[in-house]
Amino acid sequence: MNEHIVRSYEEELNQLAAEVVRMGGLAEAQVNDSIQAFAKRDVPLAQAMIGRDGKLDAMEADIERAAIRMIALRQPMANDLRRTMSAMKIAMNLERCGDLAKNIGKRTLILAEAEPAGPVTRSIERMGRLVASRLKEVIDAYTASEVDRAVSVWARDTEVDEHYESLFRELLTYMMGDPRTITAGAHLLFVAKNLERIGDHATNIAEIVHFEITGQEILSERPKLDTLTP
Amino acid sequence: MPLENEAVRHRPTLVVGLVGAAAPLALAVVGQSEPGPAMLAAAAVAALGWVLSGRPPSPAAVASPVPPAAPPSDPMPYAAIVEELEDPVMVVEAGTPGEAAGRRLVFANAAARTLFRIQRQDARLITAIRNPQVIELVDEALIGGISGHGAFEAGGAHDRVWTAAAQPLAAGAGGPPLALLVLRDQTDLRRAERMRADFLANASHELRTPLASLTGFIETLRGPARDDAGAREKFLGIMQTQAERMARLIDDLMSLSRIELNEHIAPQGRVDLAMAVTDVADALTPVIRGRGVSIDWAPPERGAATVEGDRDQIIQVIQNLIDNAVKYSPRDGVVRVEVSAPAGGDPPAIRDPDAAGLTLLAPDHRPGERYALLRISDFGPGLARDALPRLTERFYRVEGQKSGDRSGTGLGLAIVKHIVNRHRGGISVESAEGRGATFSVWLPLATADRTTDPEAVVKPS
Repeated sequence: MNEHIVRSYEEELNQLAAEVVRMGGLAEAQVNDSIQAFAKRDVPLAQAMIGRDGKLDAMEADIERAAIRMIALRQPMANDLRRTMSAMKIAMNLERCGDLAKNIGKRTLILAEAEPAGPVTRSIERMGRLVASRLKEVIDAYTASEVDRAVSVWARDTEVDEHYESLFRELLTYMMGDPRTITAGAHLLFVAKNLERIGDHATNIAEIVHFEITGQEILSERPKLDTLTP
Repeated sequence: MPLENEAVRHRPTLVVGLVGAAAPLALAVVGQSEPGPAMLAAAAVAALGWVLSGRPPSPAAVASPVPPAAPPSDPMPYAAIVEELEDPVMVVEAGTPGEAAGRRLVFANAAARTLFRIQRQDARLITAIRNPQVIELVDEALIGGISGHGAFEAGGAHDRVWTAAAQPLAAGAGGPPLALLVLRDQTDLRRAERMRADFLANASHELRTPLASLTGFIETLRGPARDDAGAREKFLGIMQTQAERMARLIDDLMSLSRIELNEHIAPQGRVDLAMAVTDVADALTPVIRGRGVSIDWAPPERGAATVEGDRDQIIQVIQNLIDNAVKYSPRDGVVRVEVSAPAGGDPPAIRDPDAAGLTLLAPDHRPGERYALLRISDFGPGLARDALPRLTERFYRVEGQKSGDRSGTGLGLAIVKHIVNRHRGGISVESAEGRGATFSVWLPLATADRTTDPEAVVKPS
């Protein structure tokens, strides 16, 4: 990395990136907690994680403010501009991940009142762990500025889709088996959908990291599984 | 202290190097404290016994502004001891107040540097650990002067669980506040708990089926079929099959739990993948012949695919996969086995454009790592796309299997997955319904100049 003449400028950019990483840590923890609360039917944990969501919103606002201030005062160019912009965009994606995790937490509270759903819960938990590990991987890639690591997260996006597809069928079978499970089944379906979208945000972040480091967009269409075909 | 003696005896050069490297640490950590190595000793004791928690900073340590004597003349090389501790030990400096992301690591021992891939001095704490709970613990120690404990999960393929303890360190006069952060691996403990729960849930269910059939037949034999010699013979045959099935199940469960217990211990030794395949193919010949299946196997040149691994476990992986392939092959079918090296760390490209592919296990990304690739294909009924994500689930069997065919325990692929995970490799599957399935396993190649040598990692910057 080429050093800036004004030392504090480089320092400010690093500080901004560090704030994004800190926010990433919080978003990761929110996602992990929501999955754990869901799998273990842990109501206090779900309530605690729902309460923490405001912190993520505040951090996103802080990062956005710092980035805008940076653009206004320093007028960053090229690499520096990309770093500033990607901090802002990643913060946005992380904030969305937090919202989706919060939604899982809320559904966990409702599901805790119904009968345990059995094996479907474990399938969702497994999908959740996969999504969480992708989020971790992509934040690691951002922290260490590793392009190929980000690309490998991006390229494996279909894995989450495959899990979602498989779960979708499993849930339909579950609901058809006993109509009394439809309410719980609908919530479970949304939990799975939320996880799938967190996975999409991880892929978005991978694209942002790629652009930040190389200055180019990842070529070729992202591998995508058509989840709506019957 | 036996630890220090060991280190000195076995690796004299290393220890000298570390003492050198730790000199700046002595400056940073013990800075102005009065008996140079005493603070480090305290750190070492804290790391070893966690006894420091709650200890208020000693006023004597703050008072003395004496510059530290360069290398400690004390006979105990405390710096080397902290450096060599198995638990990650870090010292954090506050940096600019109010900026939680500005905390910097002024010291990280070898375990911490390897774990978090810390490459430079003064790295930000956030680049190593971003778990909010740990960050909060450190903040409390730095600003509030309160020590505290917490647990966190590291995530990733090797799902590790840590407990973290942060406590304030007595800082020199005018110096920035410091905190000591010590982590301890609790993975095995947590895993054992979870395993017990899983085992009870699944195993009891799986064992109940053959047991119910045994009880049923025993009742019949004692009652209505008491004097029927023909029925007795037939029932005893079924009972034997069921008892054998229970025995197989218990064998698999035990081997799975053994593998799981070692999952976080890297395997020792080297295995030529090609020779292992030949051995398994030879051993399975009677079974394969009995099913009228042939194996298409062209070994690569000797030694080209030597991987790091535990020979027995690698054999078990190959055996389970070939076993499965043979089981799902039609009569007079072919099972194709291929070994190639070197390969990259990503799953191999899908060969059949209509097939669905899925990575069942991906190794943590390590730049520069090369792999050997093992592919085993059958040309049987194949697998439905939505069955793929569940393949390595315990006791999962593909729907529609005839009950007579269910000779498997449903644990084969789970065992394969755990072994490959221990070897830091990956697994993927591709399949098109009606056209067979291919399982690919890739394992890190053994190289002459491995950098997993601890001395190479520990090298001070």
